[in-house]
Amino acid sequence: MRGSRLFSLVIAASVIAAACGSSTTSPSASGTGPGATATVPGASTTSPGASAASPTASGPINSGKIGGKLVIDNESGSTWTCQFNPYNPSVSGTAVGFIYEPLEFVNALQTNTDGSNKVTPWLASASTWSPDFKTLTFTIRDGVNWSDGQPFSAADVVYTFNALKADSALDLNALWSADGGPLTSVALQGSNQVVFTFSGPAQTYFFYVADQIPIIPQHIWSKLDQTKLDTEADTSPVGTGPYLMSNCSQNNIKYLRNPNYWQSTASHPVPQIAEVDYPSFLSNTPANLLLAEGQAQWGAQYIPNIDSFYVAKDPAHRHYWFPAVLNVALFPNLNNPLLANVAVRKAISLAINRADVSQRGESGYEPPANQTGIVLPTYNAWYDKTIDTTAFDVAKADQTLESAGFTKGSDGIYADSTGHKLSFTIKTISGYTDWDSSLTVITQELQAAGIAVTVQDEDTTVYTPDLQKGNFQLAYGEETGGPLPYYELRQMLLSSNIGSTNYSQYKSAAVDTLFNNYASASAADQVGIIHQIEQVMVNEVPVIPVVEGVDWYQYDTTDFGGWPTPDDPYAQPPVWATPDNGVVLTHLFPTN
Amino acid sequence: MRYVARRMGLFVLTLWAALTVNFLIPRLMPGDEATAVLSRMKGVNPAALHALQVEFGVNTDQNIVVTYLQYLGNCLTGQFGLTAARVPVMTDILDKLPWTLGLVGVTTVIAFAIGTMVGVVSAWRRGGRLDSILPPLLFIVSTLPVFFVALVLLYVFAVTLGWLPLASNYGLGSTPSLSLAFTWDVIVHAILPAATLIIVTAGSWIYTMRNNMVTTLAEDYVRMARAKGLPGWRIMIDYAARNAILPNLTGFAMQLGYVLGGSILVEYTFSYPGLGYLFYTGTTDHDLPLQSALFLVYTLAILICVLIADFASALLDPRTRDA
Repeated sequence: MRGSRLFSLVIAASVIAAACGSSTTSPSASGTGPGATATVPGASTTSPGASAASPTASGPINSGKIGGKLVIDNESGSTWTCQFNPYNPSVSGTAVGFIYEPLEFVNALQTNTDGSNKVTPWLASASTWSPDFKTLTFTIRDGVNWSDGQPFSAADVVYTFNALKADSALDLNALWSADGGPLTSVALQGSNQVVFTFSGPAQTYFFYVADQIPIIPQHIWSKLDQTKLDTEADTSPVGTGPYLMSNCSQNNIKYLRNPNYWQSTASHPVPQIAEVDYPSFLSNTPANLLLAEGQAQWGAQYIPNIDSFYVAKDPAHRHYWFPAVLNVALFPNLNNPLLANVAVRKAISLAINRADVSQRGESGYEPPANQTGIVLPTYNAWYDKTIDTTAFDVAKADQTLESAGFTKGSDGIYADSTGHKLSFTIKTISGYTDWDSSLTVITQELQAAGIAVTVQDEDTTVYTPDLQKGNFQLAYGEETGGPLPYYELRQMLLSSNIGSTNYSQYKSAAVDTLFNNYASASAADQVGIIHQIEQVMVNEVPVIPVVEGVDWYQYDTTDFGGWPTPDDPYAQPPVWATPDNGVVLTHLFPTN
Repeated sequence: MRYVARRMGLFVLTLWAALTVNFLIPRLMPGDEATAVLSRMKGVNPAALHALQVEFGVNTDQNIVVTYLQYLGNCLTGQFGLTAARVPVMTDILDKLPWTLGLVGVTTVIAFAIGTMVGVVSAWRRGGRLDSILPPLLFIVSTLPVFFVALVLLYVFAVTLGWLPLASNYGLGSTPSLSLAFTWDVIVHAILPAATLIIVTAGSWIYTMRNNMVTTLAEDYVRMARAKGLPGWRIMIDYAARNAILPNLTGFAMQLGYVLGGSILVEYTFSYPGLGYLFYTGTTDHDLPLQSALFLVYTLAILICVLIADFASALLDPRTRDA
């Protein structure tokens, strides 16, 4: 049952869709301040995988050998179709990262001291913004070849982006102005530079342009029908990535290392794992069992009782890490006359024991969230502790409601002066069993604080439109998010997102201005803007974060080293996170 | 001849009715494919969504009558377009078909054979040891829900004892080929789902067969055969069973029609990638082209099997030709 949530997460993450329409944006990652023409922080001409040659603090030492067979373990929910079109969301998770690569890698789990994402140049060796953040220039890497031997060039990059324009079904991040984005042209400059022109300051689009668009070979794709690229099967994919698709059946995809991969040097071969197998799993149980038996080494699975079921069988080598990336929150419908009262929303936030929901609802796997909306510890650089007032305090909830004129009835439920009871339904997605158990806890806690709630399960195809149209009282849900808090908060609070991701229907001109200034702000100013949004989250409680959504990730160090860990969060670790999976694959090495 | 023409006419009429219902029902379900895609991708931009809708053929401004006529045309020519995962629908179905035919087809035949034989023998030795143990036992088991039997078998043989695999149609390391090793792997993976299906379906065959046998054994011609001093097994098989099996044969033909529907619960529980599982994912994904095509395949299979059963019983039993 939990599987369906995972599956939708996979799809959502593989698309990381722009928060609907024109709303979404991307990170400030490459912005180096006003007037900057300097290269992106972290940009260098060395190959991105080079650091893997040095031993990690605690892990085994990389001897530079090639070998081994890595088995991936991730419930896919259906058998493989053996298509590898990186723009088909159903299959892109098996193509991007392995075979197709982006221009630069934006790490959502690692920030620089100024708060921006750590960025690693990939197929581009560098990028610069114009001072007004309306023009972005990528310098394309030399010496990269497609897996069929043809040279990769800046022309391939120009082709790829213009292909998205020609077939808008490919433009799932709505980059082009015709699809509601700010991008107006992508053109070649000289022989190895590509210039992106935007209609307005577009720093926040960097993530989507640089990280989320896999580059496809012009010499192959330009021969196809340009309006039907989204249905191209691409059964023999040609890419620049670290792996080649060797064999595919409904039950398994076998990848072999690309012997001519561009990051590889004589002293340090990349990638180092000779074969990667990616079996398809229709359900969670067999996938979990394979991990428990030690037959798979890289897991992205939800495993109940993971310590006894998985880790205990080999505690020295088996580990898991669930990095927090998003908020799972209660969305109050601000058009509901009772929920429009900020006292009621504050009381709900005070009455929920988030630590308890985390423990009893999510087995402690998903940590408690806070009212500022900043996911911790991932985005510590953006968090202002002085603003955060998150607390579990029923007495204060009582006090808040009483001073707002609510009185407790004989049934223990508060009502306003005209007798309207604080009694609400919470809509949630049927089949998300962990959400159901979290909501059971929340229901008990709110009841104890004099607020009656009943849970209503809906299929996603009903739930999503209901939330978008405001057809609910309270809803339990999450946003798509992005690589920094800005994306999630903007999805939640920007007024033009009402009807799509602003489920609460929160409307504030001041907040809209803050979000709109963000795209052209310096890194320091961006942090300042987010601090002001945190203040709004705390003062007005437009959304009530409850727990933090996490990535499921298990790894086995018996045969392989170089995994992402809390100490070295060099990429989002689940295999479905693209292109992070490619970054992980270039870091892994055999240990014996 | 009139009989054949009448049956064929009825067949076409039933098929048309089924196709029409098939056209309407998915469109009456809440949500559509585009909404399902939308909620899975979250926040896809409206332009991309419109492109998807046109591609999937949903929520277009097209007149429903035109859509219906196109649908009927597509059904006749077998063109069903692409699934939500952008695979040709027929390719997807043909990929899964052999697994369901193999698993459910073979088990239906086995269950029928076992059930019929046990029914014949237990009616022949009424009150005997076999009769007092097997039919009641199998009948009780056959009333258990499929998923319950499947889960018990899984728990005992796959999880606790670890003798048999937990899921899938063949092992992780195997590559499909005609080799002995691969065939064995497929058989090992099919044992538990097959056992589940046999356990829950054999019981009903036993009961109908046994009851028919009991009735037939009371007939005068059976007494006549006994009086002639024929050997017991000949009376049992040639005189009684041959007549008693007729209603069961019709049931069997119809059951074969249901084979293609796979056994959704069994395939789901054992993560067996057949048509039943495909149907399950097609429904949860609101994959209209896939659903339409699968419904058509099921409908056709059942109708054809019923037609064959009608003709077969007319051939075996002249009395039914007037019906």
